Amino acid sequence: MLRKKTCVAMLLAGGQGSRLGVLTQKVAKPAIPYGGKYRIIDFPLSNCTNSGIDTVGVLTQYQPLELNAYIGSGAPWDLDISNGGVFVLPPYQKGKSGEWYRGTANAIYQNIAFIEQYNPDYVLILSGDHIYKMDYNAMLNYHIRHGADATIAVREVPWEEASRFGIMNTDSDDRIIEFEEKPKNPKSNKASMGVYIFTWSKLRQYLENDEGDKKSNNDFGKNIIPNMLADKQVLVAYSFNGYWKDVGTIESLWEANMDLLEKPMPIDMHDKRWRIYAKNPGMAPHYIAKGATVHDTLITEGCEVYGNVEHSILFAGVIIEEGAKVESSVIMPGSVIKRGAVVQRAIVAMNGVVGPGAFVGEETGNIAVVGPGMTVPAGKHIPAGDQVDEAYVFDK
Amino acid sequence: MKDIMGLIYTGENDARLRELTVTRAIAAMPVAGRYRVIDFLVSSMVNAGMKNIGVITQKNYHSLMDHLGSGKEWDLHGKNNGLHILPPFLTRENVGLYPGLLDALRSNSNFFVRSKQEILVLSNSSIIYNARLDELVQFYQDTNADITLLYTKDPTMKRDEYGTYLQLDKSGNVTDMEVQPTHPGYDNVYMQVMVIKRELIKELVDKAVSHGQHSMDRDILLRLVQDRSAKVNAYEYKGKCWMIDSVQSYFKFNMDILDPKMRKGLFREDMPVFTKVRDEMPACYGDDATTVNSLVADGCQVDGTVENSILFRGVKIAAGAHVKNCIIMQDGQVHEGAYIENCILDKQAVIKRNSKLIGPEAYPIVIGKDVVI
Repeated sequence: MLRKKTCVAMLLAGGQGSRLGVLTQKVAKPAIPYGGKYRIIDFPLSNCTNSGIDTVGVLTQYQPLELNAYIGSGAPWDLDISNGGVFVLPPYQKGKSGEWYRGTANAIYQNIAFIEQYNPDYVLILSGDHIYKMDYNAMLNYHIRHGADATIAVREVPWEEASRFGIMNTDSDDRIIEFEEKPKNPKSNKASMGVYIFTWSKLRQYLENDEGDKKSNNDFGKNIIPNMLADKQVLVAYSFNGYWKDVGTIESLWEANMDLLEKPMPIDMHDKRWRIYAKNPGMAPHYIAKGATVHDTLITEGCEVYGNVEHSILFAGVIIEEGAKVESSVIMPGSVIKRGAVVQRAIVAMNGVVGPGAFVGEETGNIAVVGPGMTVPAGKHIPAGDQVDEAYVFDK
Repeated sequence: MKDIMGLIYTGENDARLRELTVTRAIAAMPVAGRYRVIDFLVSSMVNAGMKNIGVITQKNYHSLMDHLGSGKEWDLHGKNNGLHILPPFLTRENVGLYPGLLDALRSNSNFFVRSKQEILVLSNSSIIYNARLDELVQFYQDTNADITLLYTKDPTMKRDEYGTYLQLDKSGNVTDMEVQPTHPGYDNVYMQVMVIKRELIKELVDKAVSHGQHSMDRDILLRLVQDRSAKVNAYEYKGKCWMIDSVQSYFKFNMDILDPKMRKGLFREDMPVFTKVRDEMPACYGDDATTVNSLVADGCQVDGTVENSILFRGVKIAAGAHVKNCIIMQDGQVHEGAYIENCILDKQAVIKRNSKLIGPEAYPIVIGKDVVI
C-alpha cells in the first residue's frame, strides 16, 4: 500500500521534437544535452525535488532508451525513494487493448491508475521542453489559496510575439475567462508555459469525459482547458517572471546555451538553494594546456583543451586539439575537434568528430549541426545551417 | 569476484602533512581537483567487483564519514553488503586510539565474522593508485598463496626510516623483508595492500595481539617470512602510484597530475574514479582569463591568470589575480590584484586584494581552512 501524496507530477516527454532535426533522430527531446553538463529534463526534475514534489511520472514513447538510461533510479535528483520517486511510464497493454499516447491528455488518461496509487489531491503537469527554475510548491499554494480547479502558469511575452502562443485572457483577479490558441489579435500577452496544476478529482472527470468524445484531439490546450472554461470551472493564471526559454528548435537551443554566457547570467545556476542536479559522468576536472586560450566559456569535467575556445560551451569529455578554433558553439559530450579545425556558430552533438582542418558553420547565418556520432572528414566545409547526418553529402 | 571483500585502514601517521590533516585523515585529503585520497582505493575495489567494503577510521574521521556517506556514489548501498564505516569505540582493552593496525583489526573482528566473503583485500590509505585488484586476487588464487602483497619498483616510493621493502625470488615469493629500515636495501616497495583469507587474518591478528604486538609488517608478515611458516608472495603493480605522507609529496602528486600522461594512467576509462558529487555548474571563464597547464573543476569562476595549478570546485579567481603553482581547495578565493605562488590553500581560504604570497618551490606554504589573508 502506497502512502498518500498531496501532489504528483506528470512530465510529458513523449514528443519527438522534430524541429530539432538531427539532434532528436535517435533521442527524445528531454534527453538533449544543455548547458555543459545538463539534459533538458534536469530542469523540471530538479524543480520538482527542490519544490518538495517527490513523485514524478515521466511519460515517454519516442526513442526512450537514452532517456530511460539517463533517469535510472532517479538518484541524481534524490528521487530514488521507496514511497514515491521517479517512474518512466511508456504506453502499455491494458486488457485487450493497447495503444500509443494519442495526445497530452490521453497520455495522462492512460496513466490514471498510476496516479491513483498515490491518491493525490493535486496533479502537476509538466513538459520537457523548457529551461527554467520554478517553485512548483509556491504555485500549488496559489492554486489552493484561490480554490482553483486548475492553475495555469503564464508569463508575459512581448505583444508582437503573443500571436505565436496559447494566450490566457484574465480578469482583474487573475481568473482565466478565455483561452485562445495563437490568436491573430491577442487581447492579452499572458502566454501559457505548459505548466498546469489540476485538482485531481476534477481533472480525472474531465479526462474521462474527453476520452468518451471521439472527435477530441485529447490535448490539454485544445480540449481539456476549453472544456473546463466552458463549464465555468475556476481556472486561474499564475504569473512567472523568471528566465524561461523554449528549446524546441536548433536556433533556440543554441541561444539558450549562449544565454549562460551573458553577464550577469539570466538564470542563476550558482544558487545553492535551488541547484539543478544532473547525472554525473564521473570524470577528472578539465585540463587547459599551455598554449590554449579560453575566454567567455563554460567548461566541465573530462575536457582537454589544447586549442582556442571563445564564447562557447564544452560538455563532459570534449577534446579541443592544438590549433583548433571553437567560437560561439555548443560542443556536446565526448566530441573531438581535431587539429586546425574551425567550428563557428555550430552545435556538435554527442560523440561528434570534426576532422583536421575541417570547417563547421560560419560567422553569420543559421546554426550548423554535426549529428550524434557523425564525423566531418578532414578539410571539409559545412556551411551555415547545414545538418550533418548519415545521409549528408560532403562536397568539395 | 563475489567472494572478495575490501578493508581500508585510515589511521596512518599524518604529522608531516601539517595543517592539512588537523581536521581530517589522510584518506580524506582533497586531491586532483575534486577527489579525496580514499576515492581511488574505494573505486579500485569497486571496479574489481567488491561489494562489501569496510573503512576503519581512527581520529578526525568526521570529514571522511561526510564524504563517504552511505556509499551511494560507489554503488555500495546494498542490503547485505555495502560500505561500512568502522569508527573506534571504547572497550575494556581499547581506550579510543588504536596503537596499531593489528589493534584496529582486532577491535573490528566482528566485521570479519559477519561478512560472507572468504578473501580479504586489506589496504592502507596513504598511497594513491588505480590498480587492477581483480588481477591481484587472481594471482593470489593461481599461486595458492597464503598472503599476496602488492608492491612497486617506483623509486619515488622509497623513504628512509619508513615503509616496508621486499626481497623476492624468481617466482615472486617473499624471501626477506625490511621494516622501517634507516636506508631501504631492497627496491621492491610494499604498497600496504595485501590479499589474505578472512579466517587466516583473524587467527593471525588474535595471536599477535594477545602477545602484545601491534605492527602488521614487523610482527606478522616479517615473522611468517622468516619462519617460512606461510607462503607469502608478491605481485607487482606496474602503474604509477604516489605516497601522500608530507606536504611535499601531496604537492608533487597534484602537480604530477597536470601531466596528461600521468593523468591518463590514473583516470582510466575502464576504471573510473568515483567521488561525492557536488552538482556545481560547469566552470566559467571570463573575457580576460588566462589559463595555462591547469586542472579546473566545476563551479569555478576564472577571470584572472592561472598557471600550473589545480582549482577545486567552486574556486573564484578574480580579474587581475595571478595564481602560479598552487593548489586551491574547494570554495577558495583569490581577489583582485593578488599574487600567489607555490601555495596550498585549504577549503574556503581567501586571499584578499593585492596580497602577495610566494612560497619556496620545495616547501609550499599551507594556508589553513577558512583563513583570510
